[in-house]
Amino acid sequence: MSFRWLRRPIRGVLLDISGVLKDGSTVIPGSVEAVNLLRESGLALRLVTNESQETRSSLAEKLSSLGFSVHERDIIPPGPTLVDLLLRENLRPHLLVHPDLVAEFKGIDTSNPNCVVIGDAAESFTYENLNKAFRVLIDAKEPRLFTLGRGRYYKEKDSLMLDVGVFAVALEYASGVKAEVVGKPHPDFFKAALRDIGVDAEEAVMIGDDLLSDVGGAQNCGLAGVLVRTGKFRPCDETNPSVKPDAIVDNLAQAVQLLLKSEH
Amino acid sequence: MSCCPPCSQLRAVLIDLSGTLHIEDSAIPGTVEALKRLRSTNLNIKFVTNTTKESRQVLYDRLLKLGFEINKDEIWSSLWAARDLLANRKLSPYLMVSDDALEDFADIVDASKPFDSVVIGLAPSKFDYTHLNEAFRLLLNGAPLVAIHEGRYYKRPDGLALGPGPFVKGLEYATGCKAEIVGKPCKDFFKSALGNTDPSAAIMIGDDVQDDIGGAQALGLRGFLVQTGKYRPGDETKIDPPPAKVCSSFVEAVNFILKEIGVA
Repeated sequence: MSFRWLRRPIRGVLLDISGVLKDGSTVIPGSVEAVNLLRESGLALRLVTNESQETRSSLAEKLSSLGFSVHERDIIPPGPTLVDLLLRENLRPHLLVHPDLVAEFKGIDTSNPNCVVIGDAAESFTYENLNKAFRVLIDAKEPRLFTLGRGRYYKEKDSLMLDVGVFAVALEYASGVKAEVVGKPHPDFFKAALRDIGVDAEEAVMIGDDLLSDVGGAQNCGLAGVLVRTGKFRPCDETNPSVKPDAIVDNLAQAVQLLLKSEH
Repeated sequence: MSCCPPCSQLRAVLIDLSGTLHIEDSAIPGTVEALKRLRSTNLNIKFVTNTTKESRQVLYDRLLKLGFEINKDEIWSSLWAARDLLANRKLSPYLMVSDDALEDFADIVDASKPFDSVVIGLAPSKFDYTHLNEAFRLLLNGAPLVAIHEGRYYKRPDGLALGPGPFVKGLEYATGCKAEIVGKPCKDFFKSALGNTDPSAAIMIGDDVQDDIGGAQALGLRGFLVQTGKYRPGDETKIDPPPAKVCSSFVEAVNFILKEIGVA
């Protein structure tokens, strides 16, 4: 195993949620204890997620109920970042998002839409809903398409599920409009998390199960990127020619153990 | 009159349907009679068409009603080409095609065999999260993806609607696989329609300069562009090399062929 990422002092830790802390509503063994150890160590911690099936507050509640010592302010999902952007640029979105995420857009004008926002809508990805989004894009004068992440798939219970990126690609192809990503792997998203904890990229590590979005995205930003063999991890990820993780560990517990051992 | 080596060996004629023999429910004037005269020779005839929803039976019934003399097994559609590909490789397909199109696959579907391939046609009732996830998991396990075509959208009475292309592109993105496209203008489509006949001994007659003529000529057939159906003045200059011949209609194309083989 490579310990390159441990050769420099680490002050901040960014964790992905799905596939690292939990799969669906199942805790990944050792993760609750690992988060507790990180908290006790005094390292700055943020949960950087592309989760877009629910609001930040309901996500915090869910994690707490699973036993994680997590507050709403520790979680950085893409929804609130996008809401800021829509307000700043006076955009009126057509929302193709999960019903549980709609509350995040409270107060945003959605009449006569001039852009499309897609998140992980899951069962709401019906043909007719996709058509509605498509028609907004081809009817708008200067269409814009925002996607909450660009993930390919994630793991839930025992199955892999299609993620929002697949539908972003479908709408891009149909409409000719290039999607703008809000969330990982966009550099702004990692930078916002680092700013929040006042840590430089060189002093931070991102731990995730998504080789391209978590590990590759973090590395592009100057963070160390560590891949876990949980969640959506597949053995072929270890030999991917384009992204080489700074380390590959069995799970979050092992990553934290290595990280804290190097502190002493 | 000039004559070239291929003339004496002409063995087969491929004929497009919509726009060449008929427009919707009307035969183009003279085509029924012209086909009868072409039949009086010993040339092999195949009717080649791109369709995502009409089975061979449906196409056959329509042509019969319009008065064309035709055998069902002379019809070579993109759906039929998909069926042929699956049968040759002994694959058990997960079919995302319209209910009308299912008929073409009835005799190769073995309910006792697990799915090991995915076919995408135009199936709005199956372009939803559940069906797409099912297809995705098969593809991730290495099942080949066969697409009838990659159209971005099509016209519905209530406006434009998403075609198969967006879903094909989305699944390619999710899995990293590449779809095999059947139907015109793919070389393999013309090759399978020709069977053992050498392409240089065949002529393709059609109204689509790209899909019919460009596609066929890429394989080495001669392409005869007819100025009916979707033909627009100047189409003949859109491909290089240009169509081997431009004919005012199917009738003129047949007259030329009969003269060439010395019948008329």
